[in-house]
Amino acid sequence: MKTILEIDSLKKYYGKQGSQTKALNGITFQVMEGEFLGIMGSSGSGKSTLLNCIATVIEPSSGRILMKGREIHSLKGKKLAQYRGREIGYLFQNFELIDNLTGRENIMLPMSLHNVSDGESQKRLSRLASYLEITDVLDKFPAQMSGGQKQRVAAARALIMDPGIILADEPTGALDSKNAKTLMKKLSGLNEEENATILMVTHDSNAASYCKRILFIQDGQIFHELRRDTPEETRQEFYERILKVMSQLGGGSANVL
Amino acid sequence: MFFELIARNSKRSRKENGLFFTTLLVSVVAFYIILSLSRQDVMLFLRKMESDAVNRLLSMIPVFYVLTLVVLFFLIYFASKFQLERRRHEFGMYLMMGMTRNRLFVLLLAEDVRSSVIALLIGLPAGVLLSELISLVTARLVGLGIIGHRFTLSLYAVLLTAAGFFLIKLAAFLILSAKISRQEIGSLLSEKPEETKKQHPAFVYGLALLAGVLCLGTAYYLAIRGMSWTQIRTMGLTLLLGFAGTLLFFYGLRYIFDLIIKGGKKDRRLHIFNVRQLQENVVRKSATMAVTSLLILGALCCFGAGVAIAVSYGQSEPHVMDYTFIPEYTDEPNQEQGASDILDTLHKAGLDTEFSRLFKMKIGRIRTTDILTEDDFENAYSMDDVMEQIAGFPASDDKDVLLNTLSFADYPYLISLSGYNELLRAAGLPEIKLGKDEAAVYMDSTYVNEKRLEIMDSVLAKHPEAKIGGNPVKLTGKVQTTAVVTDYSITLSFALILPDDAFQYYTQDQYDIYVNGVLDSSTTEKTGLMQAISGMNERLNGTGLYYESYLQNMGRQLFYMVAASYITIYLAVIFLIVANTVIGVQFLMNQQRTNRRYRTLIKLGAGYETLCGSAKKQINWYFGIPVLAAAVSSLFAVRALFTGILSSRTQGTIGEMLGISAAMILVLCVIECIYMTAVKRSSNRYLLTLMAPEREE
Repeated sequence: MKTILEIDSLKKYYGKQGSQTKALNGITFQVMEGEFLGIMGSSGSGKSTLLNCIATVIEPSSGRILMKGREIHSLKGKKLAQYRGREIGYLFQNFELIDNLTGRENIMLPMSLHNVSDGESQKRLSRLASYLEITDVLDKFPAQMSGGQKQRVAAARALIMDPGIILADEPTGALDSKNAKTLMKKLSGLNEEENATILMVTHDSNAASYCKRILFIQDGQIFHELRRDTPEETRQEFYERILKVMSQLGGGSANVL
Repeated sequence: MFFELIARNSKRSRKENGLFFTTLLVSVVAFYIILSLSRQDVMLFLRKMESDAVNRLLSMIPVFYVLTLVVLFFLIYFASKFQLERRRHEFGMYLMMGMTRNRLFVLLLAEDVRSSVIALLIGLPAGVLLSELISLVTARLVGLGIIGHRFTLSLYAVLLTAAGFFLIKLAAFLILSAKISRQEIGSLLSEKPEETKKQHPAFVYGLALLAGVLCLGTAYYLAIRGMSWTQIRTMGLTLLLGFAGTLLFFYGLRYIFDLIIKGGKKDRRLHIFNVRQLQENVVRKSATMAVTSLLILGALCCFGAGVAIAVSYGQSEPHVMDYTFIPEYTDEPNQEQGASDILDTLHKAGLDTEFSRLFKMKIGRIRTTDILTEDDFENAYSMDDVMEQIAGFPASDDKDVLLNTLSFADYPYLISLSGYNELLRAAGLPEIKLGKDEAAVYMDSTYVNEKRLEIMDSVLAKHPEAKIGGNPVKLTGKVQTTAVVTDYSITLSFALILPDDAFQYYTQDQYDIYVNGVLDSSTTEKTGLMQAISGMNERLNGTGLYYESYLQNMGRQLFYMVAASYITIYLAVIFLIVANTVIGVQFLMNQQRTNRRYRTLIKLGAGYETLCGSAKKQINWYFGIPVLAAAVSSLFAVRALFTGILSSRTQGTIGEMLGISAAMILVLCVIECIYMTAVKRSSNRYLLTLMAPEREE
């Protein structure tokens, strides 16, 4: 298997010396092609910082991020735009759909943003729409969709440019359990059938149980790693293992007085 | 601590709302300039001569002032509301931290007063300076000379400007702060939910668009054909149609946006996003956009009307003579003796050397047929030949007017050739040469325009025959229009210029003589024409002579020019700044309310330049749509205005009108560019603040 994303001793410090916050304190891991990797951790553990670094929204203090072997922080101008548009697809907790655009227009937004001609993508759009079951809301505005539909439209938008990796930031955070389940099924389906690489940050152990591998982060460092034994291990069993690790996070019962 | 907070907040709001603050400054300057009109050199001067008209104009100024106060009140209310809305969260925080509502009110009031005082402190000196500059420039332009200029500070204008400005600021503030301070802390802290508007089926908008265009078309048809100007009722109908048409047009505009989006143009560089943003603004605020468009149209019309009036009073008549002396009335059949007396008097007073030319203009009537006793009007004069030839021209308004004018010319004035040639020499025009039994035609320029002159000249070129008292006379040469006396309000619609012998014969030596004078150019150049004539008038008043001077004409022209240009430019400036500020503030307000969308774009990988480019496009269109609509409308409206307010002679050619329109649109473009640049800059500044990633858990 090929390595898609490589994070090498990544550090991100906020604030000045003396009152410094170490959001990321030397994280190293790799994401393989076709992997569904979960990253779990409590609030303030540095999950979002990590994702933002990968999405080039913020710049790390030190360390390297390699996408398909290329260091992304050396990218400038057109190549950087190319990276943002082509290499990564971003899925947000609160969907981030633009409320005065229809579903279709929202999905096509990355193409418009990165000046890609839309001949090929129309076909891709209709395939994605039927897979994500959003064909009938394509011409509706976000206000006329349910939360689940919104997130699936957002997922279609993240996938429309056929990115190398999908970064999902708490995608089920704003969904009820039923919609969350539908979304996770679709995502893991994409991972299984289309070999899509997904990096998902989440709080939700249930959502995390769809992953093939989970990294637990605490205080800016990797604290533990879980790997699902497919196909022997059921999702239920994996879920219970996750819960066990979660209870250990933050020092486990040792910290409870 | 409290005062520091006030100072800091007021400075911040000035910085964040530079556009609005500049508008306040401009309005202060405009207020002062219009209110100090009575202290302008030109007005002080005109007051001596045209006191009635000047006083009437000056008595109208307060009306304009109050009117603009009302318009500006709405602007200030609107813009302040936007400013306060933006700070809701901050107010909520103050209250949460235990600031009393009264204290908050005082804080806001103090901030407002501070900004107003700063606006006045900058605006008033600027206004005084500008008004002095205008005074100097106009005085120089009309030849009043700088010698007469005094620095004037109109305390009355300063006080009224400050009072009016404070009044509207305070009124707007009180209403708004009452609204804000009555709200719950919770609702202040939370973001205001967006109201959604009900959507109608597409054909409703299409219909509205069609109806709007039809209404506008009808309104302009009525106005340009001149029908609107005949009755107040039709004028009202025209205005109503125009207003409704504009509203409907903007209401229906979303139909076009839908078409653009469905049109399937390639979605590049956020094309669809931009169109959707615009569509939303237009849908949400179609009435405001229509009103701003009308305001811009109003400004353009004001410019147009001002220019038209200035042009028609400014360069209508060539200036040849400075004085006409009128002999005292005597029982003599002619006034040769009186005319000689005038020249004598001038010589004795040592004034004749001040004139480069003094010549007699003889004007009389046909006396060879005794019309008083025999009632023989028809035999006095006829020119059937001319009338027939004119009737043969293709039908036009000008032909009809000409025929009508000439049909009354059955007892024309006669002018002696020698006097008229003197006049032509003074004007630097070629003299007329007439043979025996030949006559030239004089028509005052009020009665002809280029088209009519063309018709007459081509008729005269064929040397048609006319009859004076039954004797045949050949009409020849070109129509003469150079005025025979100084006073422009004395006009002759049709007169004949005859060789001196013929003149003496037909008038039977009974005629009036006017002595015309042209001032020596050395005097006029030294002090300017105005001063020269003023000085001469004072000296002439000692001699007891009756005279008319060019000053009256000039005064009248000047008055119309100054009055028209002042009032119209003032109104145009006010309309323009109000319209542009409303558009600009509305855009920025909307941008901030929808900042989530921009944040989403950033998260999807949009760079700062991409966002600025998108905002730039939106601003261009957001300003462009109402301005474009106004500019197109103005092409018709200015034409209609010219039909209505200008006499036929001064209507000028289409080319001239297009020139005026083009100049106006150019000025408009420059102003719009300034505003658009300002809005783009503050939009870019705002977008930059969005670029920093926000943390949300």
